[in-house]
Formats: sequence, C-alpha cells, structure tokens
Amino acid sequence: MKKSLLLLLAVVVAIGLAACSSKSNNGQGSSSASPSATESASPSDSAAEGEQIELTFWRHDYAPEAEAFKKLIATFEEKHPNIKVNFQMIPNDQYETKIRTALAGGNPPDIMALDAPTLASYANQGAIIPLDDYFAKDGNKDDLLKPVIEGLTFNGKMYAAPNNEGTIVMFYNKKMFEEKGIPLPSKNVDEAWTWDQVLDAAKKLNDPAKGIYGWNPTPWGFAGHEGAPYSEMAFLWQAGAEILSPDGTTAKGYLDSPEAKKAMTFWKSLFNTEKVSPKELPQDAFWNGKVAIHVDGPFAFSYQAQNFPNFKLGVDYDVAPLWKDQKMIGTTGSWGMAITSKSEHPDEAWQFVNWVTGVEGSKVWYEVTKNLPARQSTFDAFAELKEYPMNIYAEQLSKYGHPRPVTPAYPAISEAIRLLFEDVGLGNGDVDEALAKAVKKIDDGIALLKQ
Amino acid sequence: MQRLRFAAYDKQESRAAFLFIIPAFALLAVFIFYPMIQALWISFQNYNLISSHSSFAGMDNYRKLLSDGSFGDSLWHSFYFTLVVLPVQTAISLGLAILVQKKFRGVGFFRTVYFIPVVVSFAIASTIFRLIYNKDYGMLNVILKGIGLPSVDFLSNPDISMLGIIVLCIWRAMGFVMVIFLAGLNNIPESLYEAAHVDGASPIQRFFLITLPLLKRTMAFVVIITTMDALKIFIPIYITTSGGPAGSTSTVVHFIYETAFKQMNMGYAAVAAFLFFFLVLIISIVQLRVFRTDVEY
Repeated sequence: MKKSLLLLLAVVVAIGLAACSSKSNNGQGSSSASPSATESASPSDSAAEGEQIELTFWRHDYAPEAEAFKKLIATFEEKHPNIKVNFQMIPNDQYETKIRTALAGGNPPDIMALDAPTLASYANQGAIIPLDDYFAKDGNKDDLLKPVIEGLTFNGKMYAAPNNEGTIVMFYNKKMFEEKGIPLPSKNVDEAWTWDQVLDAAKKLNDPAKGIYGWNPTPWGFAGHEGAPYSEMAFLWQAGAEILSPDGTTAKGYLDSPEAKKAMTFWKSLFNTEKVSPKELPQDAFWNGKVAIHVDGPFAFSYQAQNFPNFKLGVDYDVAPLWKDQKMIGTTGSWGMAITSKSEHPDEAWQFVNWVTGVEGSKVWYEVTKNLPARQSTFDAFAELKEYPMNIYAEQLSKYGHPRPVTPAYPAISEAIRLLFEDVGLGNGDVDEALAKAVKKIDDGIALLKQ
Repeated sequence: MQRLRFAAYDKQESRAAFLFIIPAFALLAVFIFYPMIQALWISFQNYNLISSHSSFAGMDNYRKLLSDGSFGDSLWHSFYFTLVVLPVQTAISLGLAILVQKKFRGVGFFRTVYFIPVVVSFAIASTIFRLIYNKDYGMLNVILKGIGLPSVDFLSNPDISMLGIIVLCIWRAMGFVMVIFLAGLNNIPESLYEAAHVDGASPIQRFFLITLPLLKRTMAFVVIITTMDALKIFIPIYITTSGGPAGSTSTVVHFIYETAFKQMNMGYAAVAAFLFFFLVLIISIVQLRVFRTDVEY
C-alpha cells in the first residue's frame, strides 16, 4: 500500500517535471532560434517587406505622453504598412514589476520604456541590446544632449533612445509671496535661492491654521516610487555629498560624509522642528493653494492647463531655478525606449524607436507633451524653449544637470535613498543611524552583483 | 482463499482510490510542489530575476537573511499585526454573530450590512481607506476635527500606521468570520439553553459554559484561518502605504515582494519565503494541537 503510494508519487512528480522541462526546452529552442531569425532579417530590410510584423511596446501610463505615442504610432504605421505596433500602457506603480516579470518569464515586449537609472541593471543582465550600431547608421547621436547620452550609456555602450530629458525646478505661489511681502526669487539660474532663503520664506508662508504648508520639497511627497529619490538626491548633491565612490564600488565614506549628514539634518528639520513641509502631501496641493513653495517638472504646465485652468502662470504662480546649498544641482534623467534581446524584429523595432525619438519624432513629442527635449535640434526648432518658463529648465539642465548614478546596483540605491529620507523625515529618526543603514543597503546591493 | 479474495478486493479498491486522487494530485504537483522545489533550489543560488545566469551560493543567502535587520523588522510587523488582529477581530465577529443570530424584524438587513465589506474588493477598500485616512482632507480627520479631537495621521506617522492597516483589515474581514460563527451558533441545540435557563444559569454563564465550548471547532477554524491570513497580509499594505511610512508597515510578504521584484534578488527572496513558510507551518500545527478536542458533542 505504502510502496504503491510512493511509486505513484514518483510517477506523478516525474510527469510534472517532464512536462515542465519540456516546456522550458521549448522556451530555449525559440530563444536560440531568435538570433538566427534576426541574422536572416538583418542583411536587408526589404526582406521583411510583404510579411506582416507586429511589434509590442510597453510604457507606463501618463495621459499626455500616451497621446504623443498614439500620434507617432499612427504616422509610423502609415509609413510602414507591414508593421503594426501593439502599444500597451501599464499603470505607473505596476510598470517595473510587470516588465521584470515578463523579462524573467522570457516573454518581454519588443520595445520597453525605461527610466534612465534602471538601464544599467537591465543592460548588465543582457535583457536589452546596445543601440550603437543603429545610432551610427541613422540615429543622429550628435544631436543628443551630452548629459542625456551619459545617463543612457553603460560600459561604454548606449542602450536606449531618449524620449525627452527631465529636471525639476522651484514653483511658488506668487500671490502668497506678495501677501506676505516676501521678495520674489530670481529667474536667473545662476542666482538660485539657497536652502536658508527658501526656509526663511517658507516659515513666513506656513499657516497650519489654514492647512497651508510653506515648502513641499518633493513633487509627489513620500511616494513609494522613483519620483521620491529623484528629487531627494538633489539635496545630497547640493550639500556637496556623493552617493557612490567615483569608481562605483562603495557608498561608505561618501553617503555617510559630513556633507550628507548636513543635508539629512536639514531635511529632518523641515518636517519635524520647523514643520514647514507636509508629511502627507494632499492631492494637487500646490494647485489648490495648500503649498506655497513646490517643485515640479516641465510636464506640470500641461497638467495645470488641463486640471486647473484658472490657476495661471505669471499671475497665481511662477517658476524659479531649483534651490542650492554649497552647489547648484538639479537631478536629471528621464524615460527612454530600449529594445529587448528577446525581440525577434530588432531592426523593425529600431525603425519605430527612431521614428519616435529621432529628429522629427522628437519635435512631435515636444509639441504634445511640452517636456524638456533631449535633442539640440528640438531646442533650436521651438523659440518658446528659449523663453520663460522653459528657459529655466533648459539652462538649469545644461549648466547644473546631474544624472543619477549609472550602475546595475541602482535598484538598491533608489530604495536606500527613499527609505533614508523617509526614516529621517517621516520617522524623525537618527541621522547617523539612517545613513549607516542606507550605506549598508547600497553596499550589499553592489556586493551581490559581484557574485 | 477467503483472505486472498479480500486482498484482491482491497487492492482493487485502493487502485480505484488512486485513480480518483490522481487528477487533483497532478495539478498540485505541477502548480504547487514543483514550484516549491524550484524555489527551494533558487534559495541556494545568487539568482537575479531577469538574468539568464545564476551561481551557486550555498548557505550564504540563509546566513545573510538571519542577520538582516530589515527582515527582522518585517517579521515583527507581521506578528504585531497578527497579535492584534486575531483577538480583536475574533471577538468583534463573535459579538456580531450573536447579535444577528437573534430572530427579530430586520435582522436580514443587519446581516447584509455587516457582510457587505467582504464583497468589496480588497484593492478598492484599500484605496478608499487611503482617502479616508488622509491627514488634511480625509473623512476620518474631518470628523475628528469637527468634534474637537486631534487628527490621526495613520499614513505618515510610523508609530500608528500599522493600526490604520489593522482597522481596515478587521473592517473588511469581520463579516466573513461572523458568517462562520453564525453557522456554528445555529448548530448548538436550543434545548441546551432551555435546560440551562431552567437550572437558573445567567446569560453570561450560558455564554461561557454552553456557547463557547460548543463553538470550539468553529473557533479552531476561525483562529487558524485568521492567523494564516494575518501573517500573510500584503494587498492593503501594498496599496495604502507600500510598506511606509519609514518602513513601519513592511510585513514579511511585502519584504519578499520588494526583494524579488524591486531589488530583483530572487534567491534572497526565496530564502525569506521558505523561512516564513516554516514559521507559519509550525504555528498552524501548534494551533491544531491546542484546539484538538477529545470530546465530541
């Protein structure tokens, strides 16, 4: 009885294993077949003509950008009737998980959108392909801004084409400033306000009775996504601290430097002793007049136009360069498009990527999204980019832009920085302890890559 | 001869039994046991989620996890959550069940009302509670301010954030547990209460001497299910706080999710999953022993 049960177990398990292993063999078979397929396709683009090709493309959901994509996809499909682009938008906070699960399952889209700092971890694992040959052929790489190229290059190779560049500047409620008689900040990027100047104004603007916060230093508050560390890192760099050693091997001695301690102590005071910054950022707080000094990207203008048309630039609010401390620095880096190594049609995928991010596509992209361009030609094509308010973004970007670290350990860094600022800001935790914890987390992440 | 025939019959019987078991077992093997074995294997490797290569790590992952402060914290958060939810939720549900067991006009209305939260999707409930809890504009704080009480910052105060999650979870689950208790209560013969009443037992005596002992089997089921669900809590945390503020609601499952999908460190996450699996297993076994009854009523 017992024996037969055991036998049965063995048989069933064996069947289960066999079924699964044959499945995984199939998977390997198709993946090993894909390079040869691309080889046969690459000699001539015309070979693919006539047969219908479908490219899948995933991107996180953001309304103005989705509109730009739809426009560009329509013109692309018109020009390439044999290629169909299957465009899928995924909710922002699920995007990274979904794309990673798809990569792990060996079934990713042909083209994936990625945020600049995650590029290295994908490239390091061979999940995406270098685009240098394509860029050399018809990508107009010389036209791209230098910090953009830097942010998308890992181990000397460029792995993604940028949709746009990004940085954040200071927004302030002009009416509130005038009410309190506070002088308005300069619009010259070389004369940015210091932390102390901003804090000083924030203290005067703060009005707990009316639920008004003086200074919101992050666009999305303590969010659980990359948006938080994006703006928080600037504080560290401005104080003169670094996150990693120049060779990228450790955070020890850099993230726990006296400069970093100073930045964190200042951050802690904003939320706990001065109480000028909101621990919970209410929805649309700045646009509703609940935050006096805010920070946001160029996409904020189109958001305001759509949702708060009566809250006007120049009347109700204005923008100024980001604040500074020892140094003036604004975090840069935005989203780009990469081609996955599992794609069976990398050439066609590049055609699409280049259509969207190339010289002409980039102009369409700017017109719809009003986001900071990654190409010089786009800057030259639109006069408004040289005028207020976009000139503040453009000048701050070219003079004081600082990309996030390009390292495969970036997921650990992003998480460590996010928790560091939460521990100190929300938790009112000890600065030294929180920094030590962040250093350990980052160094553990780096050590893992060496194995 | 007779014995042989019995033996042959037995064999035939057991063969038929196996045939009935095979389909279910095959599914379990493919979808549960095989992935588990695979996960065990991964836990001994340096395994990146999106990488095609992995290297053998031996006990490295296990050693590192046992000295990992954030894993320890997440364990404590899970147990703290369970230690509060288990008694409070069970007591509330039992109370509700006793209330709505009485037959009076409109009892169906109350049963429905108490059960409605169960029908609401956990994701939707979490999103709504996030709005309710907002420090400045949330309904909860508007009401508190209206009656002159200080506001409660469930979403940004690390000291009380877990209580916010606990309230949400109890609100959602109590209706379900109430229905289970209701079924248990209805199984207790009315004659026992009548006899006790004749003997002069007070309502409190009747509750402790009749209701509770006769509910033991139901209670066992409720306690074990609640414990397992509470330890594995994830969805409301992912949606309302994503482990924050300052990591104060990061439970074990959230830790595993973060490690596997954000840090892409599958091997390490698999170790955490396995250690946690054994912890839950041990707790369930202990609970089963404790609730084992020798007397069947």
